[in-house]
Amino acid sequence: MRKRPALMRFLACLSLALLSWTATAAELPKGILTLDGREAPPLVLKNMDGETWDISNARGHWVFVHFWATWCGPCRREMPTIQAIFPQFDPQQLEIVLINVAETEDTVFSFLAAVAPDIEPLMDNDGLAAERWQPRGLPASFFVDPEGRLRYLALGGRPWDTPAYLDFIKSLIGD
Amino acid sequence: MTVFKGISLRYAWLSLAGVITVAPAFADGPGSAGPPAMPVQQPPSPRYEDAQVKVRVVMRTPDQLTAFYLGRGFNRAAIDKILETCFITPIIHNKALDVLWLELDEWQFSQGDKVITRIGRDYWPEKWREAGLSQAHQSTFGWTLMPEVRDLRVDEGVGGSVVIPRQTGPFRLVMKFHTGADKRGPVKTVVFEDLKCVSDLP
Repeated sequence: MRKRPALMRFLACLSLALLSWTATAAELPKGILTLDGREAPPLVLKNMDGETWDISNARGHWVFVHFWATWCGPCRREMPTIQAIFPQFDPQQLEIVLINVAETEDTVFSFLAAVAPDIEPLMDNDGLAAERWQPRGLPASFFVDPEGRLRYLALGGRPWDTPAYLDFIKSLIGD
Repeated sequence: MTVFKGISLRYAWLSLAGVITVAPAFADGPGSAGPPAMPVQQPPSPRYEDAQVKVRVVMRTPDQLTAFYLGRGFNRAAIDKILETCFITPIIHNKALDVLWLELDEWQFSQGDKVITRIGRDYWPEKWREAGLSQAHQSTFGWTLMPEVRDLRVDEGVGGSVVIPRQTGPFRLVMKFHTGADKRGPVKTVVFEDLKCVSDLP
């Protein structure tokens, strides 16, 4: 008979865990994968003005690390939605970082000037940063938590300016 | 004969459960609502779709490859290396409610009884050295290839080029996909018959 309360507690815990998992899964918009929380790989790149950005200096806030290239169709379609949300977040809460993969400054500038003029991209000139981060394809967006850990990955192009994705981001930063 | 998304396809079903053969018949050419003012020939792109997976296989012409890579700043020597081979671009979408495993080593190209060995990623560094292709362009090239292995999550898609030696005759592509996070689900097999390395179109 002593086993019955233990079994009930186990089942209650299991139910809560399942409920919690279901709630978490239900809250994630389409195409967002939960990652295992491993430490984000090093990322030190320069922007087109030659200024260095280092992810190790981004502790204390969330970082949206977005890998893209102009030759990638889904990247081109997604970029206006990133531009749309860019002004909506305080960089002290969520820093939006675009990383162009292995293209020239001319190519990047002529594209972004028309599509996302507010965002200063980082240049992964030789493509090696993307190889270290191993996104599952282009485009790909990682969410790095304030402790520098990989928490979520958005697969492919996502409509970031739609309520489901905006609410997801706001939930991360506690807004 | 089935007309599917504007392309004439003849589906031949094998008796094995879960194995699907798709044999394209392109005598009619690409379909459309009406004849365009200036007909533009497209290379064949046979498709397969069921409740679990959607697959389209696009055969790349030398003109397409040249335009794409030249547009990305590749040098002529590198493009010549690319044109020595045959580029096939499958686009796969996992429609199932479970993980679908893309594993290129589980795919087989063949021509009759002869197995065609796929050209892997390790083939290219030596070619790029000979062509003097920059690291940045090598990286770009790598992104245009199909990943070797990918666990396609629910509703996730993937596309990219798979490369084989240029073939003169039709060949078969057998795609095997393990399913389930632990790969213990039923194996999904899709077979494309009569694929051809295409030349430039008129």
